[in-house]
Amino acid sequence: MSYIECRKLTRAFHKGDTVIKPLRDLDLDIEEGMFLALMGPSGSGKTTLLNLLAGIDTATSGSLKIGGIELTSMPRSRLASWRADTIGYIFQLYNLVPVLTAYENVELPLLLHNYSKKERHAKVSLALDLVGLADRYDHYPRQLSGGQEQRVAIARAIVGDPKIIVADEPTGDLDAAAAAATMAMLKRLNIEFKKTMIMVTHDPKTAAVAQKTLHLEKGQLIENNA
Amino acid sequence: MVALKFVPFALKQIARRPTRTLLTICGVATAMFLFCAIQSMQQGMKDAAEANAAETTLIVYRENRFCPFTSKLPERYDGRIAAVPGVKSVLPMKIVVSNCRASLDVITFRGVPSDMFVKQAQSQFRILEGSIDDWNRRSDAALIGATMATRRKLKVGDRFDANGVVSIVAAIADSDEAQDKNTAYVHLDFLQRAAAIKSLGIVTEFIVKVNDPKDMESVARKIDAEFAHDTEPTQTRSEKAFVARAAGDLIELVGFTRWLGLGCVFAVLALVANTVVMSVQDRVREHAVLQTLGFTGFLIARLIVLEGAIVSLAGGIVGAGLAVLALRWGGVSLSTEGVNINFSASPQILLTGLLVSLTLGIVAGLVPAWQASRSDIVESFRSV
Repeated sequence: MSYIECRKLTRAFHKGDTVIKPLRDLDLDIEEGMFLALMGPSGSGKTTLLNLLAGIDTATSGSLKIGGIELTSMPRSRLASWRADTIGYIFQLYNLVPVLTAYENVELPLLLHNYSKKERHAKVSLALDLVGLADRYDHYPRQLSGGQEQRVAIARAIVGDPKIIVADEPTGDLDAAAAAATMAMLKRLNIEFKKTMIMVTHDPKTAAVAQKTLHLEKGQLIENNA
Repeated sequence: MVALKFVPFALKQIARRPTRTLLTICGVATAMFLFCAIQSMQQGMKDAAEANAAETTLIVYRENRFCPFTSKLPERYDGRIAAVPGVKSVLPMKIVVSNCRASLDVITFRGVPSDMFVKQAQSQFRILEGSIDDWNRRSDAALIGATMATRRKLKVGDRFDANGVVSIVAAIADSDEAQDKNTAYVHLDFLQRAAAIKSLGIVTEFIVKVNDPKDMESVARKIDAEFAHDTEPTQTRSEKAFVARAAGDLIELVGFTRWLGLGCVFAVLALVANTVVMSVQDRVREHAVLQTLGFTGFLIARLIVLEGAIVSLAGGIVGAGLAVLALRWGGVSLSTEGVNINFSASPQILLTGLLVSLTLGIVAGLVPAWQASRSDIVESFRSV
C-alpha cells in the first residue's frame, strides 16, 4: 500500500450549466519520501491535484488516502488539524503575512500546537537557521528579497516537521540563482529529512531535481517518467 | 475565547492600517462619550427621583405657584402647620435661584433656621472641608454641596457672590440627597435680609415630616384646608410628586435622550462593523493562507471578533474615561425650578460604557467573522 493513494479522483466545478472537470478519474500512488514533480500546460489539473493532496480542496468523487487516512470525507475542522500536522505548503508568491517579521511568520503554524514559548523559539530558530536566515529574524517581508521571502516561506512550511511538503511553482517568481538555491534546499529536505515532496512546475530544469515527473493534460496523467 | 498567544497577532493586524484604526477608535470614543454622558444624565434623574422617594416628606408651596421666585409664604405659618395632627416637624425654607428655567449652571440658595439646620446637618451631610460650627458662627456663612464646589472651584473661606447674595464658604459637604450636592445652605434670616431679596418673614416653602407615611394625603389636605381662606393659600404635595411636577419637562427630555443613547450604540456598531468588514476584505488571501497552515475557520472567526472587540474597547476606554473625567471635573448639574439633577459620574457609568463598547465590538465582528470562517480556501486564492 502506497503512502498516498488516489483512486478515480475527480474534481468538478459548475460554471453556469457547464460542468468543468480539471481532474477526472485519476489513479495515482506516491511512496513515502518520494520527490515528485507535476507538470503540464495551464488548466491541466496539476494545481487542482496539488490542492487535493494538500487537503485545501476536496474531491467531488473518488478516494484519496494519505497515510491510510481518507481525506475526501473528512470534515473541514478535522481537515484543518490534519493539514497543521501533516502538510507544509510553499506558494509561488510566498504569501507571508506582511505585518509579521520573518520570525513571527515562521512561528504562525506552531501557534496551533501546545508548544511553550521556549519550544516555539527553538523550533523557529532551527528552521530559520536551516534556510540560512539566522540574521533576518526581525525583518519584515518588505525588507527581504524574493529569494529570502521564499526561504522564510520554506522555513514556515517545515517548522512543524510535516511529513509532506507541497510546493506550487516555488521558483516561478525567482531569478535563476535564487531558484537554484531554493531547489537545492527542497532537495536537501527530501534527502536529509526524508520529506515527501510534491511540486508543481512549468520549468523542466526545476522538475529535473525531482525523482519522478508526472505529466497531466485535461485532468489525466499522460506520461510517467521515472 | 482566544488563547493569549494569538493576542500579539491580533494587535499587529489592528495596527496594520493605523489611520483607519485610529479614526475608528476616535469615532467609538466620541459615541461612547455621548453614551456615558446620557447614561449619567439618566442616572442623575434616577438618583433625584429615588432620593425623594421616601414618602414621609411633604412640601408646602404657595398655591398655583411653580417657581421659587413666585412662591411666597409667611414664615409664621410654621406654628399652624406644626399644630396639624400627624405632623412631626416643620422646616421653613427660603429658596433663591439664579434662574427658574432649565439651566446647566443654576445657583440655588436655601435659607434655613440655624438651630434646626445644625441639628439635622450631622446626619444629612458628610463634611469634606470646614465645619458646621463654623457655619453656625457666621451669619453670612454658606454650606455648599460638593458638586457646586467643584463646578465653581470654591474652597472654605472663599467669598461667594451669586444672585446678589454675598456669603462666605464655611463648609463643603457631600450628601446622599441629590438636591444637597448642588445647593448652598445659608442662614434663613441672612437670606431674607440679603440686599437683592428684601423679604424678611417670607419663605418659599415648608418641608414637613409626617409621623406615618399612610397619613401623607390626609395631612396634606388638612394643611391646605388650614390656609384655604388666608391671603396666601397653600398647595401641599409629597416631595416625590413635587419633584416630578417641577422636573416634568426635564424628565421628558431625559426620556428622549434614551433614543440618543441608542443612536450612539448603533453608531458604534456600524463603525466597528464597517472597519472589521473592510479589514476582512483586505485579507481574503491571508485568511486562505492561514487556513492552509491549519488554522480552523472557527479560530479565524475568533481572531476577527477579537480585533473588533479590542478596537471597540479602546474607543470605549477613551470615550467613557473622558466622559467620567469631564463630568467629575465639571460637576455638571441640570436645574429647573429649584430642583437639581446632578450628572452622576460614577464608576458604574464607566463600567457600563466599557461593557457596552466591548459587547458592541464583539457583535460587530460576528457577521464578517462568520463569513471569513466559511470561505473556501481555493476560491479565496482565486478571487484575489
